Amino acid sequence: MQRNNIVEKVKEILISVLEHEGFELTDDLVAADVSGWDSLTHMIIISSIEEEFKIKFKLKDLNKMRNIGALIDIISSKIS
Amino acid sequence: MFCKNIIKKFVEIVSKYPESNAFCIDDTFYTYAFFWNLVCKQRTLIINQKLTDKKVGLVVNDDLFTYASIFAVWMEGMGYVPLHPKFPTDRNLEIIRQAELHKVLDSNIDSEFDDELVIQTNACKSLKPTTRIIDVQDDSLAYILFTSGSTGQPKGVQISFKNLDSFIDAFLDVGFKLDNTDRCLQCFDLTFDVSVQCFLVPLIHGACVYTVPHEQIKYSYVFGLLDDHDITFGIFAPSMINMLKPYFDEIDLKKLRYSILTAEASPIDLINEWAECIPNARVFNFYGPTEATIYCTCYEFIRNSFVKEANGMLAIGKPFKGVKAVILDGNLGIVDNGKKGEMYVSGNQVTQGYWKNHERNIEAFIELDYDGISHRFYKTGDLCLLDDDNDILYYGRLDNQVKIQGYRIELGEIEFHARRTIGGKSAVAFIYQGQTGSDEIALCLETDKLDKNAIIISLKAKLPSYMIPTKIYNLDKFPLNTSDKVDRKQLKELIIKL
Repeated sequence: MQRNNIVEKVKEILISVLEHEGFELTDDLVAADVSGWDSLTHMIIISSIEEEFKIKFKLKDLNKMRNIGALIDIISSKIS
Repeated sequence: MFCKNIIKKFVEIVSKYPESNAFCIDDTFYTYAFFWNLVCKQRTLIINQKLTDKKVGLVVNDDLFTYASIFAVWMEGMGYVPLHPKFPTDRNLEIIRQAELHKVLDSNIDSEFDDELVIQTNACKSLKPTTRIIDVQDDSLAYILFTSGSTGQPKGVQISFKNLDSFIDAFLDVGFKLDNTDRCLQCFDLTFDVSVQCFLVPLIHGACVYTVPHEQIKYSYVFGLLDDHDITFGIFAPSMINMLKPYFDEIDLKKLRYSILTAEASPIDLINEWAECIPNARVFNFYGPTEATIYCTCYEFIRNSFVKEANGMLAIGKPFKGVKAVILDGNLGIVDNGKKGEMYVSGNQVTQGYWKNHERNIEAFIELDYDGISHRFYKTGDLCLLDDDNDILYYGRLDNQVKIQGYRIELGEIEFHARRTIGGKSAVAFIYQGQTGSDEIALCLETDKLDKNAIIISLKAKLPSYMIPTKIYNLDKFPLNTSDKVDRKQLKELIIKL
């Protein structure tokens, strides 16, 4: 899958979980900059991504994930 | 004696281990010597202000300056009132107004507060350090924490140096042995009193405190700290451990020596599984209202043995050294062991009262004869039972006060602000189990049309994020009970069906 396809799908998931589109999905975007993205919604976002891409994150993957760019990289490495 | 037991102990640690790490904040380590230098320079900064007031506001950023401010304030015999930078400015201004604060310490150069109010703490760098030890008065305040209040106004719990000193003494008496090789987790907001235990206990033992930056997703960052830095001493809210649960099979923290559970009731099934992830740790359940200084009862969970519980929640055990706990009925009579009642606590850890809140103080404190002597007891609002071994079992709140993410909140405060946004019509907030299994807040408004976004926006301007409902509903008419009050139970059942 192309990187921009992954980005597009992640964006759809974020919009559906957070119920708004008030963010721009750049590589250096962090959760704290997005309204409503807290610990609770983070868990739902992560499980939605796992479902969508049919992957499973390790806790070690998650705690090294500092921004959207890192998230996309991890998804990309897991599905290839 | 706070000065002897805490301040002098800390100063002794600094001179003994100047090159040991005192803090790890956002991947940067700071030594005791470095921290001490900042504390002493901030003291000079505070002295130069010539404050007449014995309390000062503190914007609690996640940085070394903020922790140094706390020690500087204490060493000057003063108390701090924490203001969270992520809370709405309106709420912080309300706290500043209520606590009658004249000055606010802030390490952020873009402070949200007016110039005349703010003391920029990073301006202390060029100042000469103040190192002398002054005798701190035990009845002076160490901090005032503002907690949720149902009248729509937060209420301030005053904790004195004596309260805090008594707490530390009793806490260590439980049997914790820490030294300068320990690495301790501090994952609580400084507006929440458990944070004080998390940084203060390590710093009087020469251990290192690991903090969590505000902008990080807490549970995954905390796991990173536990795993990368071999944390030895960790204090956790059960709801955070619950977030780690899907990953328990990957977690194996052999270096963790102590795991404290606190801030909310601990589900026994969760703790059984968590104990497997931390094979060498002693596990404790701690209970305590802010009014009795951080924790005042304790129960040790012992692996592979009989564990006491109530409704699936771990027992809260026995009172701390110096704390008296009694279970009373509605007529303030002591109930027999095995019978439920409201818990009241007494002792040197109990606050002298709420800041300038006479009405609440009359409701919340009673004089009661105990062992032939009259003692002042705090009414906890918690439903408890004393078993035959005199262990306390916890059955939840008696009133409309609940805990979300470890924060104690009164649903009435959310309802108060919600009512204002819809022109005074009725509003009921209640707790439901969200998708993640954690407790979340739902709000139901008695109105025929609903603009959810507008309500969320106006609530966000008044309340911290953990008090914002995750679901909002409306009903044309609320169901009433026989005394013509809104029937909360029936309402909740109706909503669940929607």
